[in-house]
Amino acid sequence: MRRRDFLEIVTFAAGALALPRIARALPETSKLAIGHVQHGGRWNPRPSALRRLQWELAQRTSIETEADAVPVRLGQPGLHRFPMLYLAGDGALPPFSEVELAALRRHLQYGGFLLVDAADGSDGNGFDASVRRELARLLPSSPLLRVAREHVLYKSFYLLEHQGGRLAVKPWLEAQVLDRRLAVLYSQNDLGGAWARGQLGDWEYACTPGGEAQRETAFRLGVNIAMYALCTDYKDDAVHLPFILRRRS
Amino acid sequence: MESGYNAWRFTSLSPWPHWALALLVVAAAGAVLLAWRGLRSEPRLGRRVALLALRTASAILAIFLLAEPALRLLQTARVKNRLAVLVDSSRSMNFPVEPGGPPRIETAATFLRRHRGELEALGDRVSLEWHTFERDLSPADPSALARGVPARGGRTDLLGALKAAAAGGGSGRKLAGAVVISDGADNAALAEGLTPSARADLRALGVPVTAIAVGAGAPKDLAIDRVAVDDFAFVRNTVTVEVGLAARGFGREEVPIVLRREGAVVARATVKLEPGKERYTVPLSFAPDTTGTFVFTVAAPVYPGEAVAENNARSFVLRVIRDRVRVLLVAGRPSWDERFLRALLKQDPNVDLISFFILRTSTDLAGPQEELSLIPFPVSEIFGEQLRTFDAVIFVNFAYQPYRSLDIERYLPALRDYVKNGGAFAMVGGEQSFGEARYGQTALAEILPVDAVDGLGIASESFRPRLTGEGRRHPVTSLAPGEAANESAWGALPPLPDVNRTRVLTAGTGARVLLESPTVMVEGRPAPVVAVREVGSGRSLAVTTDSSWFWGFMAAEEGGSNRAYQRFWNNALRWLVRDPALTPVQVEPDRPAVEPGEPVGLSVSVRAPDYGPGAGAPVRGELVSEDGRVVAHADAVAGPDGVAHLELATPGPGAFKVVASAKPRCSGGAPCPPDAPVERATGAVAARASGPEDADAAPRPELLRAIAEASGGTFSTVDRGLPEVRLTDPEIVEVGRRKDVPIWDRAWFLAGLVLSLAGEWILRRRWGYW
Repeated sequence: MRRRDFLEIVTFAAGALALPRIARALPETSKLAIGHVQHGGRWNPRPSALRRLQWELAQRTSIETEADAVPVRLGQPGLHRFPMLYLAGDGALPPFSEVELAALRRHLQYGGFLLVDAADGSDGNGFDASVRRELARLLPSSPLLRVAREHVLYKSFYLLEHQGGRLAVKPWLEAQVLDRRLAVLYSQNDLGGAWARGQLGDWEYACTPGGEAQRETAFRLGVNIAMYALCTDYKDDAVHLPFILRRRS
Repeated sequence: MESGYNAWRFTSLSPWPHWALALLVVAAAGAVLLAWRGLRSEPRLGRRVALLALRTASAILAIFLLAEPALRLLQTARVKNRLAVLVDSSRSMNFPVEPGGPPRIETAATFLRRHRGELEALGDRVSLEWHTFERDLSPADPSALARGVPARGGRTDLLGALKAAAAGGGSGRKLAGAVVISDGADNAALAEGLTPSARADLRALGVPVTAIAVGAGAPKDLAIDRVAVDDFAFVRNTVTVEVGLAARGFGREEVPIVLRREGAVVARATVKLEPGKERYTVPLSFAPDTTGTFVFTVAAPVYPGEAVAENNARSFVLRVIRDRVRVLLVAGRPSWDERFLRALLKQDPNVDLISFFILRTSTDLAGPQEELSLIPFPVSEIFGEQLRTFDAVIFVNFAYQPYRSLDIERYLPALRDYVKNGGAFAMVGGEQSFGEARYGQTALAEILPVDAVDGLGIASESFRPRLTGEGRRHPVTSLAPGEAANESAWGALPPLPDVNRTRVLTAGTGARVLLESPTVMVEGRPAPVVAVREVGSGRSLAVTTDSSWFWGFMAAEEGGSNRAYQRFWNNALRWLVRDPALTPVQVEPDRPAVEPGEPVGLSVSVRAPDYGPGAGAPVRGELVSEDGRVVAHADAVAGPDGVAHLELATPGPGAFKVVASAKPRCSGGAPCPPDAPVERATGAVAARASGPEDADAAPRPELLRAIAEASGGTFSTVDRGLPEVRLTDPEIVEVGRRKDVPIWDRAWFLAGLVLSLAGEWILRRRWGYW
């Protein structure tokens, strides 16, 4: 089958396709639920953000998601039930205890993934300064490094060229690498602020300077991040390269 | 000379070391030189001569007295050295001297009858020894040699025979010469001719060889005389077998060469023979499609008038292995189960992983296609032409139904056939697996290890699976050595949150449940969690949960390790692709091919259910011919190391399958019930139709000539008669007695020294030198 035929069929023949997965009973444990890390600072500055991201994931991709994220504490049992963690903050982050750091380190070393999101737009102060300090304690031998534009993260679902978020503090993401995979991903652009949506359906925060396009990019980046957490470097497999290069050219 | 002694020589009895005596000689010469220098101004010749003569006499006498010379009287005797007559008794001596002529061994006997007298006439100088030789040297009776001895040796080792003859006897007598009567068809150290190292070895022996060549013309013969191929090849990769063909006495025929694997032709080629050209190299290439150990046979037709028919075929054993396990991983949606399984397989250097994940369904609203990195699912490629290239196919929560436009269902019979023909398939649970995806109504139902009945649903309740009786012994569910440790390892894992409800297959289907849920029941029986099945030549595995990652990532939180997860999936993959290391019985022939008449040696290794040595387990080894008949068998008991050695006689040349069977559960002194399960392992061995002696019927007189020349001997042929037999000189051997008679301890030597010194002193005083 030619690619164009495939795309037409996939795009226009949706009505003809059965939707058995919707009708099936899906165990809660089979769905993606992001673990939202509770800490001593303002840990939940965008309460609706992850709910909206998970909803968008379910709408846009084949990932099955829970309705909302689940708050988790680093030192408490059950952390590994959530291989994908989200750590956000507005303002300074109190230091983690050694027990908490050890638990998070073990989580990441055995394959876990942590998305860190600075909600306060700080750069060198506030949340940014404190979370950099904590990440250095967390993985001292894996410093935060910029994620290259060519990284699979930017093509794990959407082909992305730009950063998204409520703000545009940094035009890049940073990451700590373990076993050649991104274990910790850090955005200073308040992704959660772009994702947050109120009960009445209105966006809680305006995205500046790019407006709604920047918000859409934030969602696409969120999708790519979740896709990366679940599929890692799948889109780096040789079979994908010709298609991706053709679309990017 | 004193009686009892017949030889003498000078010797020194001085206790001084040689270097000290040398220094003394130098000092004495210096003293004479000084005297000569001091007398150069003396005008009277008489005085000069007298003083110099006295100094020289003193120096000589001093050295003589210090060196303490003596006569060594010896009792010696001359002994006869040996002359070895070596007659080739290898099988090639049965070939005719020339096409249509008598056998070479017969011609050699005729030669000996004719020239035996001449050889025995040398007996007054040397003592004669008569031998036959082939692989080893054997003493022979000269009369028997002259009558003709049977030529049965499987190898010709000319250099070995000469070395053995030179070292032989045990009497210490030297070998003065050797007469070699042979066709020169060496297939040991001199197979490639007289190489520089062989020439050096020959010279080091110091034995002149009189070589008599038997046979001049090569009979008509076609032979596969060489097969060059590696010991192993990679499955689905082209392997080239280099065949050496020797053809003598042929015209411009075209010779078809075929390569067969256990009866089936896998490659063929045609060789155009040319007059005057005897050796050809034929490459035969093929790509083995399955792993295992196989006997291959290269064969050429037998033409009328050939000297040896058996050397027209040659068998060899080739072990076909996989380079890397090629795994196809198909996931219905991104999930943690897919995530951790992909990571595990991806990091394994022995796995070549091809993944396809459904990232978007038809109802998802992702946006314009060109902004996505998604690719069409290449159904026809991976389930069509590429399917056979995979060692294992794994479906992780993958349903065929939602993609009706892709018509995946059309390929499910091909997937079933792939498994039945030796492939491997695993299905992992989820809402798109087993009965939930109606696989029970597809062709895959014939290979699945569980009954995937539609409508049974998914049980969402936490449970800790338990091992079944089969699971306690099966390698897939072996997390720790020993049943107790294994059960404990499974018991320590976190509970699973859900399981696809499936039915246990009935007995006789080859399916076995290894792990089951003690709480989730399906029609009154525990729901299978892990089940395996041998179907056709292939294997299948069912993991009826999408939470096996709990055994890794979740277990790492509670127990600090994800080893159980890694071990389980590694075991599963190795079992699926039939990793030889997982089989409880393994068989290895001592050699991949045996010479004609040689028995086949087998080492059978048995492992007990706990993977320890299967000491005491009864073992049987069988040779099975290509038509499936058991042609030889032997029984043994495994030793303390779990290994039994067997020897099986081959009924004749050919390719044989080796089947070893054992009852591992009967090891360690445990009572052995008659119905104890029998485990089997197979291998292959080739019994050669022709050994090296039969492979090439051509005589090699040029090699014999080279040996004669290199050793300082002579060369002839049986037609031209016995040439001069060169011998080294007889050696004088000291028999035993010796006696030293001093000649320095006479008083007048000392007096002479004193007189000469005193004379020089007096004359120098008188003539005014002091």
